Amino acid sequence: MKNLNLILAGVFFTVAAAWSGLVITAQVQLGSLGRAPSEEGGPLFPSREPGLAIQGRTVYLDLGCVACHTQQVRPAGQGSDIARGYGVRSSVARDYVLQSQVLIGQRRLGPDLANYGARAKSEVELAAFLRTPASGVNHPPYAFLDAERSTALVAYLKSLRQDYSSPEAKLKQ
Amino acid sequence: MSQENRTGRPRGRPPEGGASRLSRTEAGLRGPFLCFFTFAVLWLVVASLLALIAAVKLHRPDFLGACALTTYGRVAAAAQDTFVYGWGFNALFAVNFWLMAQLGRFEFRNGWLATLGGLAWNLALTYGVVQVFRGELGGFALLDLPREVGPVLILAFLFAGLWSVVTYARRPSGHNFASQWYVIGATFAFPIVFLLGQLMVQWFPSVGTVPALAHAWFVQNLMLLWFGASTLASAYYFIPKILGRPLRHYYLAPVGFWTFFLFAGWTAPAALLGGPIPIWLQSVGVVASVMSIVPVIIVGINFYSTLSVDGGWSRAWNSTTLRFVTVGVVCFSLFGGLSTVFSARDFSAVLAFTSFAQGQQQLLTYGALTMTLFGASYFVLPRLTGSLWPSAKLVHLHFWAASLGLLVAVVASLAGGWQVGHLLADPAVSTAQAGDATAVWTLAGSIAAMLFLVAHVAFALNAFGMILASTSPTSEGRPD
Amino acid sequence: MNDRNRHPDRNRPSQGNPGPGPDGLSDGRLVEVHSQLARDKEEPREGFSLTPIVIVFIFCGFGFWGGLYLTRNSGNFASTAFDVNAPKAAASAGPIEFEPDAAKGEKLFVAQCAACHQPTGLGVPGAFPPLAGSPWVAGNEERLIKAVLAGLAGEIEVKGVKYNANMPNIGAGLKDAQVAHIATYVRQAWGNTAGPVMDSQVAVVRKAIGARGQYVPADLLKEHPLETK
Repeated sequence: MKNLNLILAGVFFTVAAAWSGLVITAQVQLGSLGRAPSEEGGPLFPSREPGLAIQGRTVYLDLGCVACHTQQVRPAGQGSDIARGYGVRSSVARDYVLQSQVLIGQRRLGPDLANYGARAKSEVELAAFLRTPASGVNHPPYAFLDAERSTALVAYLKSLRQDYSSPEAKLKQ
Repeated sequence: MSQENRTGRPRGRPPEGGASRLSRTEAGLRGPFLCFFTFAVLWLVVASLLALIAAVKLHRPDFLGACALTTYGRVAAAAQDTFVYGWGFNALFAVNFWLMAQLGRFEFRNGWLATLGGLAWNLALTYGVVQVFRGELGGFALLDLPREVGPVLILAFLFAGLWSVVTYARRPSGHNFASQWYVIGATFAFPIVFLLGQLMVQWFPSVGTVPALAHAWFVQNLMLLWFGASTLASAYYFIPKILGRPLRHYYLAPVGFWTFFLFAGWTAPAALLGGPIPIWLQSVGVVASVMSIVPVIIVGINFYSTLSVDGGWSRAWNSTTLRFVTVGVVCFSLFGGLSTVFSARDFSAVLAFTSFAQGQQQLLTYGALTMTLFGASYFVLPRLTGSLWPSAKLVHLHFWAASLGLLVAVVASLAGGWQVGHLLADPAVSTAQAGDATAVWTLAGSIAAMLFLVAHVAFALNAFGMILASTSPTSEGRPD
Repeated sequence: MNDRNRHPDRNRPSQGNPGPGPDGLSDGRLVEVHSQLARDKEEPREGFSLTPIVIVFIFCGFGFWGGLYLTRNSGNFASTAFDVNAPKAAASAGPIEFEPDAAKGEKLFVAQCAACHQPTGLGVPGAFPPLAGSPWVAGNEERLIKAVLAGLAGEIEVKGVKYNANMPNIGAGLKDAQVAHIATYVRQAWGNTAGPVMDSQVAVVRKAIGARGQYVPADLLKEHPLETK
């Protein structure tokens, strides 16, 4: 342990090993993922988000929604996600290929939003909820959102769907 | 033991007389150390204020809810960033630096270079936190500062941190000590990790969930290789130093060091169990988390066997520094044990996405790291300033408020997460219902945040009082 | 225990080093003592320290467990496996993943059946009936499955020629999937054009017939008469 170079080389090796073993290998396996049809010859999924939803994603980011909402559905048997209607199947890497910033989140103070578009209220109700949440729901009021940002955020939330069949997670018939 | 007295009250006296005894090694350190330390304490107070606001917002969502500036997401992100990058890094720059210079007998002449790095670090961080409040935050915790801040932070780190490596390379004697390995390892590994993390998450994010994995890898390395290793460096120093006897089973320390570095990075995917990454990656994370218990056991053997003989525990209790450091060491072991046990899939299925992980992380960032850094401050600051801690009562208040806050915060996060997780295992229970049923833990979180604020204000008052009262020491002091 | 006795303060640095004074070990002494400890391993003491051995055992134990865990929960290191419960669910829910494979069937056929029926599927005139173009193997899958599982004994007429069959219960010693592969091959080789056979069908038949002896061909025909085109 006397030799500085030995310590530096060893530390470098441990860091590099974990990095290449995990991150680079994952990049090799998943880095070339693209969209895929849900059935032979069908349209490609995930679908591209409408422009308004892409603006809404920045609103979602800058309000820090990701602090309390995840966007990932765990498989049946690992948590109650599917049983409680967060999704019809587990999330897989391919579901996120179109997202420039992956917002899978780490904490669920509120419900998961991976499939929110499939179960959301109407645009008007959703915008009203964001302004003044229903009583009894521990959600902050976003009354300060102007109409433009509110519309974009609602469009983004409505665009969130993972209810198509994916090669890695087929929907059960 | 100048820091002991018979009644067991910490008095906080400078261990070796006054300024006249400042060694040349310490004289060269004084400027950069006090610069980093001042920034660290300021950030600590800011961070605890923000954390208190965030904690209150968890049970009163409309608190400060009238504008976008103070959404929970932004305040919580800012609180974490200021705590980690503001307090944790600045304090570690100071303490690691001091450790390396002391152990390597390094007479530091170009202090302004490190100070320059420190200024750049804190300017960039301030800019980043302001941007977070303006809504320019990313979606990944601890990599959520605007990406243009990152390169500045790395450069500043190289200026401020890598002096540790220089002090080791230029040390006059051929001897070496565990603290030095850990500081060198941490200081060398972190810039690499920081660079790769920023590149893969912020600058050139890959497709799918690879950025999420890269982020988990970054956070694990930051927590273990930088915070964890630095905690161990201080603990390895202060325990034998203050007890006045060598560590027992010290020959195991290199094994602990290498296994610690070997497994740390691989544990990353355990944070993503059940998530959208291939299961082999998740399983690797579980295995690495379990293997990580080996270094935890080894450093535990080193520390506890040394503390257990010859009245070590009571002597630790009677020394202000060692009292904090011992709490830190115990928290580190607890953290290691919890990460091993709760990496199991059966647990993560229930506890994922709850506050449980936050409680574990708090054990490391606050319980282990911050408590150890407090202990180090009580040791180093009187030596460098040449004055006494102004108020023993504040020292007392600091220790008890911080320890109690730590206990309440960790228990609230762990128990709250446990309860929420088990409630949510039933699909009929909504997140809102689970939140209501566990409101008492959220409230406890706010109380803990309040205790932390009290502790940190007490610490800051005491520290700044001492720095302001310090006489300017000469470098012609005691030859060391 | 007195550590000061164990590490007497020899080699005290000459210059103003306070030694274990007011703040315990001096820094120079701290580094020096530990450097020595790292070289000399354990401090000399009576008896034998179990600690390193225990650590090695713990380490090996975890390593062994880790290997096992990884093999069981790695999803073959595939980039497409995201659900750790999926393989187990498939195994318990039965043959969702089965794909009848004529190529595997051919290998099994050559090993198990070709001695009599010949690799060409034409049999041996006067001794073993042909399978190519035989109506016995086409049509209802159960007839073929039963013949393979239980065997045949007695007079059998294939393509207008009578044979005295004595076919052993080859299938009894094979797995459901293997029988399905063979049956699929037989039904699709040499110009035969019947559909594949699934391992689930084999499993059902195997359960239904139990451990019976060889079928008399006429009885088998009563259960599953030859389809006429």
